Amino acid sequence: MSSTPEGKWTADHRSMAKRRFRFTRNDWMGYLFSAPLIIGVVVFAIYPMFAALFMSFHQTSGLNLSGAWVGLSNYRYALEDSLFWQALTNTFMMGIWSVLLGIVLSFILASLINNLKWNLGRNFFKAVYFLPNVVSGVATSLLFSFLFFPSKEGLINFVIGLFGMDPVGWFTNPEVARYSIVLMSLWGALGYNTIIFLAGLQSVPRDLYEAADVDGAGTYRKWWYITIPYLRPIFVFMLIMGTIGGMKRFTDVWLIGGTAGNPGGSLMTVVLYIYRNAFLASQMGLATAVSYLLFLIILILTAFLMLLNRRKDSLD
Amino acid sequence: MIDSALPKEPVRRKRITLQQLILTMALLLGSFIMIVPFLWMLVTSFDWGARLNISFPPKIWPEEPSIRTYEAAFTNINMFRYIGNSTLVSAGVIVISSLSALLSGYALSKLRFKGANFVLLLALSTMMIPFEMTMIPQYLLFSKLGLVDNYLAFYLPAMNYAFGTFLAKAFFDQLPGSLREAAVLDGAKEITVFSRVYLPLCTPIIATMVILLFLGVWNDMLWPLLILKSATKYTIQIGLAMFTYNNGINQQPSIIMAATTTSLIPVIVVYMFLQRYIIESIALSGIKQ
Repeated sequence: MSSTPEGKWTADHRSMAKRRFRFTRNDWMGYLFSAPLIIGVVVFAIYPMFAALFMSFHQTSGLNLSGAWVGLSNYRYALEDSLFWQALTNTFMMGIWSVLLGIVLSFILASLINNLKWNLGRNFFKAVYFLPNVVSGVATSLLFSFLFFPSKEGLINFVIGLFGMDPVGWFTNPEVARYSIVLMSLWGALGYNTIIFLAGLQSVPRDLYEAADVDGAGTYRKWWYITIPYLRPIFVFMLIMGTIGGMKRFTDVWLIGGTAGNPGGSLMTVVLYIYRNAFLASQMGLATAVSYLLFLIILILTAFLMLLNRRKDSLD
Repeated sequence: MIDSALPKEPVRRKRITLQQLILTMALLLGSFIMIVPFLWMLVTSFDWGARLNISFPPKIWPEEPSIRTYEAAFTNINMFRYIGNSTLVSAGVIVISSLSALLSGYALSKLRFKGANFVLLLALSTMMIPFEMTMIPQYLLFSKLGLVDNYLAFYLPAMNYAFGTFLAKAFFDQLPGSLREAAVLDGAKEITVFSRVYLPLCTPIIATMVILLFLGVWNDMLWPLLILKSATKYTIQIGLAMFTYNNGINQQPSIIMAATTTSLIPVIVVYMFLQRYIIESIALSGIKQ
């Protein structure tokens, strides 16, 4: 066979291909050095991702990955469960408010700090506003559970009492609890966003402002027409990171509201719903199905936000 | 200094100073709001009078100043043990994650082995997978291996630090490859080239990774909540959380605040000394992502 011209060509080609794919010592070294990363990624990210998908089609308590095959019924159960929708709504509400308030406030804050002519002051304010960011979610929740104490003894109720307002049941009134969580997470997250905005503000080219000065633009107009458009990628980055973080809310609501998401289920979030079903009710199949729904929602939101950025870019 | 030596129009300078003064005052007011929760926590933590109920009206100095609140916190909550455990977990994760990131970053940048791009792409795309989705299979994997309640459940997944790999690769890309070529020509082993030639140049990126990892691991709660079952293994976050979870939140203000303050000491100390680097690392990690 190899005597025919065609066969010879194939053999040649094959040996060439072999040479191309032959591993040199350098290649082996590369894989040896990357082995921890590759093992880590495969075992602790890729395998669990597929295992979760597999489990989501089964009814299983977790003793085995596969119990009985139930098709899409875990997904159907979640989508028909009013608690899931409540969790999703709560998560969205808290997420949207924290992201929007967080971005607006921290951008204003960063602009103010950036306008300080006084270097030491700039560094001082950066350090102070960032400080709550190193505090753990557990510590923040414990601290605010006292600051937001529902009767007049709580510090925040005391302060609003000075203005003649009645005490608010910050974490006990189902109408209010979600917004209290937003306020609490703002305290922690404000500094993080501010630091990133400050880094962005310092990257705006000086000559853009100088050109605007020549045209006689005021501070406010420069801010609106140069700074904000120039920082659009950072705004989009914040929106995406904030949305992803917001969709994963767990620690604070678990500690403050327990696994029931009290008061009145107003602090029930999607991850809390997953946690409950997986580790209290042993419904691992259902829990993984919900975790896939969460992943899909995050993917769609991220894609949407990125698209928003790209479309605006092409308009310029 | 140079700025102020330059002659300026007096009227303009005066207006700028007034504007700067208002700006500083506004920022100081904001800082005060950010700091008040810490002050309240500190004052309450030293107030024996607030061991059962929050003192009213709020005090700027403890009603019954005492360190008995801290003694009570340490006897009721096994703080020394939990802080020790957290240190053990953080140290292990920091060493494993940064080593994995540095080794792979070096290989991806300097060895340019076949399939390197694929490995990088694969690792980076897994960063999109939310931990909340993989935590259940991961938990089941560790329970199958009999590693629930074992710190290996922290150390093994630490190998997967794709973001660190990304940071390290970007850093190695800036270092010249000629260093390696010269050393290899002299017959040095690859691991020697890595550890003797390149690693000493990596201090800035190692510092960044250590800071980001420490803050992340020290403050983490969800994974320890799933993995740690016995109280002797608890990390500080989970120890604190379980104590309040079992005793009810909003109870024993000064004792809980004493424990919370203690749990913050390590991060606050690190923050005080490395504040500049932490802020730079955060800005860097934000921009790189």
